[in-house]
Amino acid sequence: MGAGPVIRYEEATKRYGAGPPALDRLSLEVPAGETCVLVGPSGGGKTTALKLVNRLVEPTSGRVLIDGRDVAATDPVTLRRGIGYVIQQVGLFAHLDVAANVATVPRLLGWDRRRIDVRVDELLDLVGLEPATYRHRRPDELSGGQRQRVGVARALAADPPVLLMDEPFGAVDPVTRTRLQDEFLALQRRLRRTVLLVTHDIDEALRLGDRLAVLAGGGRLEQYGTPADVLARPATPFVADFVGAGRTLRRLDLLSAADAVTDAAAGPDAAGELAAEGPAVAAAAPLTDAVAALLRSDAAAVRVIDDGRAVGIVTLDSIRAALRRDGGTVEP
Amino acid sequence: MSRRRLRLLLTPVVLAVATALIVAWAHRGADVAELGVLRTGRLWVRVREHVALCAVSTALAVAAAVPAGVAATRPGLRRLASPLLFVANVGQSVPTIAVLALAFSVTGIGFRTAVIGLWAYSLLPVLRNTVAGLGGVDPAVVEAARGMGMSPAQILRRVELPLAWPVLAAGVRTAAVVNVGTAALATFVGAGGLGALIVVGLDNQRDRILYTGAALTAVLALAVDWAVAALADLSGGGSR
Repeated sequence: MGAGPVIRYEEATKRYGAGPPALDRLSLEVPAGETCVLVGPSGGGKTTALKLVNRLVEPTSGRVLIDGRDVAATDPVTLRRGIGYVIQQVGLFAHLDVAANVATVPRLLGWDRRRIDVRVDELLDLVGLEPATYRHRRPDELSGGQRQRVGVARALAADPPVLLMDEPFGAVDPVTRTRLQDEFLALQRRLRRTVLLVTHDIDEALRLGDRLAVLAGGGRLEQYGTPADVLARPATPFVADFVGAGRTLRRLDLLSAADAVTDAAAGPDAAGELAAEGPAVAAAAPLTDAVAALLRSDAAAVRVIDDGRAVGIVTLDSIRAALRRDGGTVEP
Repeated sequence: MSRRRLRLLLTPVVLAVATALIVAWAHRGADVAELGVLRTGRLWVRVREHVALCAVSTALAVAAAVPAGVAATRPGLRRLASPLLFVANVGQSVPTIAVLALAFSVTGIGFRTAVIGLWAYSLLPVLRNTVAGLGGVDPAVVEAARGMGMSPAQILRRVELPLAWPVLAAGVRTAAVVNVGTAALATFVGAGGLGALIVVGLDNQRDRILYTGAALTAVLALAVDWAVAALADLSGGGSR
């Protein structure tokens, strides 16, 4: 199974009655196998944009293409069986056990029983639920996080190349949310589906998205770019305001200590001394850790350790330089 | 669950014993005139008439009210719900004896007339619970089903009806049990049933016949309650 398809919005507009549109001429392209996060305040048309893809909402004008094919050309029921769909309330079928819930789409597609059973166990493993334990549980016997996992397993059941997720981690506690986000990232690294994910939480958007589409009230696309891009160069005052005052600190989260390391060889004396003692961080650690280490100690520099060897140091100056460099490029 | 199961298993035994005791009491010391009405064979005929009245009228009520309730909860037809419930409310609030009298003026004496009256009377609980059961299905669940590519018919059959089933079944149970009581009036339009015993007992001041008819009606109501519950349990696939 290869990566997912390209999803492309062309001037997609949705109007409900009179008044301002819910979605206003949205045009953007999500590259194959990437996660695009639709983020913004409520009333920004995020969910509307998402539902245009599986035709739960039909556009007033414009169109949506999956791998160049207009979704309006495909029968909605057939279309939806090829698109995974996860919603905040999960919407598990309370009268069916976990296995039957996960098997929903394969059954609709008429898979034979053996194949479905194998697939269900595979998926429960994938989302971290021991099949022997959970296969025959009822949804009301699961915690919020477990239900959410079953929801994801159900969405992935027929191996859809496209995944739509509407606030998938909105209804669980913060600790579970972080764990589910980590699992999602690990899963997506393996599966490389084309994912559209809706959230109003900018931190979640920055963590999960390869690209962010920031939507404002009235369904206007304010900015479309990588997380680093949106943080470093907000396209409009709205975006700057939305990502908030903490955006510099958030950028530090997206950079690693290795990005800000200065050449230790340039100052052999200092590096030699520093290599022996003082605070240290791993090269792969986020730059935030290096800043924290600097603030915690009196040292002017933090050693960066890679594979057990000091590879250089990070100073406040080198961090500023890294942010400046990052601000000048599109990719982090 | 197991207590419920136990009750489901024990109820028929208790009811069978109660029936045997009632029949024994009815026969013990009865005079010839009383025995003429209370012979086991005669009683059996009355019970069969009563069951037939209830079964046919309840089945017809389900056949009419469930599709109507489904229709009234479809997105395009939601405005149908209030007028439908209004009609059913009228059917419920007009006294059964009046409905029977009205039906009598059209279809005359007999089984058919009694069934029409009972049918009108039992529409409401079934309709109301169908609408309530389907209306109580979480919209998120329906949305998820739609998003996964179920057709409207599949959503109804595989998701909405199973989830609404406990409430719907409760409506059928109410209708069936109430019908057992109401069917005692069927004797006034010549449709027989256990009501015939009660009326004969009253008219002739034979308490033995009156009480036997009343007690058997009560046992039958409990038996029907049990039967519908057991049926709902089996067909519900053990949900809940």
